[in-house]
Amino acid sequence: MSLSTALNIAQNSLLNTQRQTGVVSRNISNAYNEDYSRRSAVLSSLAPGSRIADVRRAADAALFRQNLSALSGWTAQSTIVEGLDRINLAVNGVDNLTSPATVLGKFQEAIQLYSSTPTNRTLAENAIEAARSMVRSLNEGTQAIQSFRADMDGQIAAGVSELNSLLAEFKTVNDEVIRATHSGGDGLDALDQRDALLKKIAEIVPISTVTRTGNDIVIVTADGGATLFETIPRHVAFAPTPAYGAFTAGNAIFIDGVPAPLATGANTTGGGSLAALVQLRDDYSNGLQAQLDEVARGLISAFSETDPNPPGNTAPGLFIWDTPPTMPPAGTRTVGLAGLISLNPVADPTQPGGDAQRLRDGIAFNANPDNYGNFNDLLIGFTNAMDAHAEFVSVDGTTVTMSLMTYSTGAISWLEAARKTADYGAETKSALIVRTNEALSNVTRVNIDEEMALMLELEQSYAASARMLQMIDEMLKTLLSIAR
Amino acid sequence: MKVSFVSSQAISKALRYQTQRMQGDLVKATKEVQTLRVADVGLALGARTGVSTSLHREVSRLNGLKDTNGLAASRLDSTQVALQDLTKISNDLMADLTTASADVADPKVIQKQAETILSTMTSILNANLNGEYLFAGINTDVRPFNDFLEAGSPNRVAFDTAFAGFTFSDPITEAELNDFLDSIEPMFDASGWDNWSSATDDTITSRITLTETAQTSVSANISGVRKLAQAAATVAMLADKQLNGGARDALFERALASVGEAITDFSNQQGYVGVTQQKLEQANERISMQVDLFSKSINDLEGIDPYEASTQVTGLMAQIEISYSLTARMQQMSLLKYLS
Repeated sequence: MSLSTALNIAQNSLLNTQRQTGVVSRNISNAYNEDYSRRSAVLSSLAPGSRIADVRRAADAALFRQNLSALSGWTAQSTIVEGLDRINLAVNGVDNLTSPATVLGKFQEAIQLYSSTPTNRTLAENAIEAARSMVRSLNEGTQAIQSFRADMDGQIAAGVSELNSLLAEFKTVNDEVIRATHSGGDGLDALDQRDALLKKIAEIVPISTVTRTGNDIVIVTADGGATLFETIPRHVAFAPTPAYGAFTAGNAIFIDGVPAPLATGANTTGGGSLAALVQLRDDYSNGLQAQLDEVARGLISAFSETDPNPPGNTAPGLFIWDTPPTMPPAGTRTVGLAGLISLNPVADPTQPGGDAQRLRDGIAFNANPDNYGNFNDLLIGFTNAMDAHAEFVSVDGTTVTMSLMTYSTGAISWLEAARKTADYGAETKSALIVRTNEALSNVTRVNIDEEMALMLELEQSYAASARMLQMIDEMLKTLLSIAR
Repeated sequence: MKVSFVSSQAISKALRYQTQRMQGDLVKATKEVQTLRVADVGLALGARTGVSTSLHREVSRLNGLKDTNGLAASRLDSTQVALQDLTKISNDLMADLTTASADVADPKVIQKQAETILSTMTSILNANLNGEYLFAGINTDVRPFNDFLEAGSPNRVAFDTAFAGFTFSDPITEAELNDFLDSIEPMFDASGWDNWSSATDDTITSRITLTETAQTSVSANISGVRKLAQAAATVAMLADKQLNGGARDALFERALASVGEAITDFSNQQGYVGVTQQKLEQANERISMQVDLFSKSINDLEGIDPYEASTQVTGLMAQIEISYSLTARMQQMSLLKYLS
């Protein structure tokens, strides 16, 4: 009786070892799989002998949650950093060399040079060319901003559709997990898949999860405001806007009918790529556009001319924005002005009838009726006006009093400050994601050495069990030979 | 029960992450060593980037000002020389007039001398620099001073008309002469001076510093020129006419008085121009100082310590090499190697 029990146990041990070897080899084959959680075969002792109760999956719910939130934060931050870099390069150029502020400086220099020798037609044309670069810088800046916004909008649409398909996929996997839990199957691969999906979702929106009976998961947004998945995927809606102008306001994203959470700050408070994309599309693009518009307004008014004869009307000179030319409303931002500003054709030598010297003599009104060659009152007035204090609307809508030149550099400072903050945020957030990833990976991933060591153990155990079998066989033989 | 656990992936990832970081830093540090300024000004300065942009702009504008100041300075130099010449011919005329009034030499001589003075002053006042008439005020496209000696020029015509319209006895008496001279006085004042000069009273305004402007030319309308022209023209036109003794004395006396005023005014003008020249020189000095200061500020903002940067590069390269060899050795470090 006890010999056959021993035989049974040895047999069982062989089986266990084989199963454990299977787990080890599976662990090793997935050692570098990001979405794989280490399996371990847990032996429970039962008399007689031992048998495997189940194969478990290493997991740490708290660490996983932390990792998800770090992942959301990092995705949002890196999106902001990339976006700001892109828009900075598009509007301000490398080292801000093509920024409106720099071009404005060049333009002021050209006017300055022209005012020193106002008789020189070449210098006049040079000044007009500098003015043209100025206009181009503002126009192209506006275009760059608006196409950037359209691009962000497109990325939001792509992100939303990806999110919807991920949620649909999530349902399949979640159902499988529930089925496996109910039927007592292991369902471990489904769990791996589900975690992988959660990570992908967290890259798009910040989420938090609630686990219910039967291992069912409910996904809500991190602030708890909207439900993304509960038994079935909820719809995430977004109406893309294909083309953007300065006036266009982008649409909001709705999760299950609730507006998606918004983010603020360059070291963004939000998580997930969507919130960051909305921030880039609305906050930063519009802020930059507002500053370009104000620079355009400053230019038009700095180069406006006053009628030397009564009643002394003021009219736009070198820079205009509408036909017939009128002054833009004072003290307030005219949306999209930077895209509308253009050179007055009267002073543009490339236009029929255009004469660059009109810049000296007056474009709107003739301030030099006697055609004096060295008349430079207007020119000196222009350079003074560029340096004179005026009222500008800043990004946050408050009115500031400073010169056009200073205001234009403020736009650079504003964007670069955001870039610096964003970069700092990216550093801390990338450190966090690396750290939580490492911690999670240490808990849930495979160490090959350990698996190898385990394999040695199993080898020994297998050999011992086999030897056991042999022994028992011999003992039985001996017993049988006695009985003969 | 494990006390500590590390996954194979964590080991390789940590190494990879560190190496990547160091490589990124190396790229940045290399760029800094090459350019001697921070790799990304915006990221390094943040909100202060605007300051750096505006400093760059100011430096460029100041350098531009220095160039245009050079132009103004050469104009002032020429003006100064011209004023000296005008003073010199005024002195000559004064000497000639004194000689003429002392003895009764041939009146033709003083008349010719006055004509020479007129033609010299015309050529001085019509001097041209870089295509601009020096004494034209701001009307620099037009030759400012009409040649009195040229028949048909407006100032000559006006004088001849006035002379013809006046009845003189023969020889001309002192009273008649005085009346005539009084009557032509307005020709050299505001109303009649247009026949002499097309210059404007306004002179060229130049910006000499970022905030300061200065008048950097002298107009042909200054009283010195008018007085000198008056003296020379009256003598040139009347000295060889039949004058009695009193009339001749009166002519020379009035001419002498005019020339005297002219000399005073020229020396005043020389003084003004000298002051402007000095102002310009000081402005240039200030600009040079500002450029130096701004360049230093730019360097403070964007510059890097070349020694620090190059040590950083060397350090990073050594670190990366260590990291590589570490990676290689860690790849070697596997239990698998020891199992057979």
